[in-house]
Amino acid sequence: MSFLALRVNKIHFLLAAFLSGINIFLILTIAPQNQLQPDFGNIFYIHVPVAWTAFIGYLLVMIFSILFLWKQGQTWDHFALASAEAGTMFMFLVLITGPIWAKPAWGHFWVWEPRLTTSLVLFLIFLGYFMLREFGGNPEQVSRYAAVLGIIAFLDVPLIFLSVKLWLPELQSHPQVGQYFENTGIMPVLMINYSFLSLLVVISFMIRFRVHNLKKRETHNII
Amino acid sequence: MGNLIWKELINEWRSREMVVSMFIFGLAVTLVFAFAFNVSPVLFRQFAPGLLWVVILFTSVLGLNRLFSYEGDMDAHWSWISAPIDRGLVFLSKLLVGFIFLSMAELLFIVPFFLFLNLDVSFSILFFLGILILGNSAIISIGCLISGLALRANMREVLIPVLLFPLASPVVIAATKSTVFIFENKPFGEWRIWILILFTFLLTSALLGYLFYDQIVEE
Repeated sequence: MSFLALRVNKIHFLLAAFLSGINIFLILTIAPQNQLQPDFGNIFYIHVPVAWTAFIGYLLVMIFSILFLWKQGQTWDHFALASAEAGTMFMFLVLITGPIWAKPAWGHFWVWEPRLTTSLVLFLIFLGYFMLREFGGNPEQVSRYAAVLGIIAFLDVPLIFLSVKLWLPELQSHPQVGQYFENTGIMPVLMINYSFLSLLVVISFMIRFRVHNLKKRETHNII
Repeated sequence: MGNLIWKELINEWRSREMVVSMFIFGLAVTLVFAFAFNVSPVLFRQFAPGLLWVVILFTSVLGLNRLFSYEGDMDAHWSWISAPIDRGLVFLSKLLVGFIFLSMAELLFIVPFFLFLNLDVSFSILFFLGILILGNSAIISIGCLISGLALRANMREVLIPVLLFPLASPVVIAATKSTVFIFENKPFGEWRIWILILFTFLLTSALLGYLFYDQIVEE
């Protein structure tokens, strides 16, 4: 059965496509531009909310991992995995939109900007997280290992950010973001984008959670 | 805990495989660096701290793979789990032993490192030893935690570096920066922040390891 054959998936997909369309329309038409960064700078309206949503995804991984270790319910583990997948998808988008913005703004695709570098390190850690999930051993133990790793990964973030920031002190952390927030007119569009993207992350989270639950049910049926 | 450390030390004394293999590996990587970066000693001095910590990080992976494989090979985890001791202490003993082995291997390959790369020792040895101790213990503490996670993994040899390198990135940055300052004989006040980062990292990972080891080794 194809993914879109299910009614609930169809609704999710249409909702996501509709919201993304509105999102892009708002950014291209209504969103106020920055004087110093005409046109290309409007990627700010995608990049910043996507980054926040990705970090929220990883924060949820930590919260669900703690709850899993504490309460021992398999559902918490599925929640954590679904958040990790949704968070990583958004983190991938951060790593794509960041360099696209950096090239016209700074002249280079990658300049080791602290927030982007922290995102890259976190992205790599979570690729390792999925490898651990895949090759870690028996499923029950792997759930515990992944929960521990999910907690460590998020606790490592402040240290990674601080060390990268101090590593290249001459590099300002996102001067563009500061310039944008000086203009109070950005807030309505930015908030709408935040809401849309949060909804998208929730939709992806729900889809992945359902997939994991179905997989589990399938395994039980086979046994 | 003393008994656990003693057991590891006796094991290593009998086989001598871990320290020797780490030393030879460190030496080999140093040699590769010397061939790959054929530049003047003045320029090399700027690269040297980074290269040194890359060698240490690579060497630590070798040790970490072996540190947990004794029990893995014989499936002797049961002995740990059934022993009437706090499992966090098993983690701390592994951390201490890993630190001792890495430091021993490092003391052996650090002399050739300075000789091959033509680096003169015109800096405070005390500070340098201090940063080596701190950096080693920070790398090993997160490394032991990861090795514990990858204990029963099919691809343990791959998983350890894949997880260790990004997680240990603050250690590598802080240790390299501190070594740069030490090589340049800068006053301690200028690079105190890096020591703080290393300490915070060491304490956090050791504490997390102590707390979660119980969950990790449970069958």
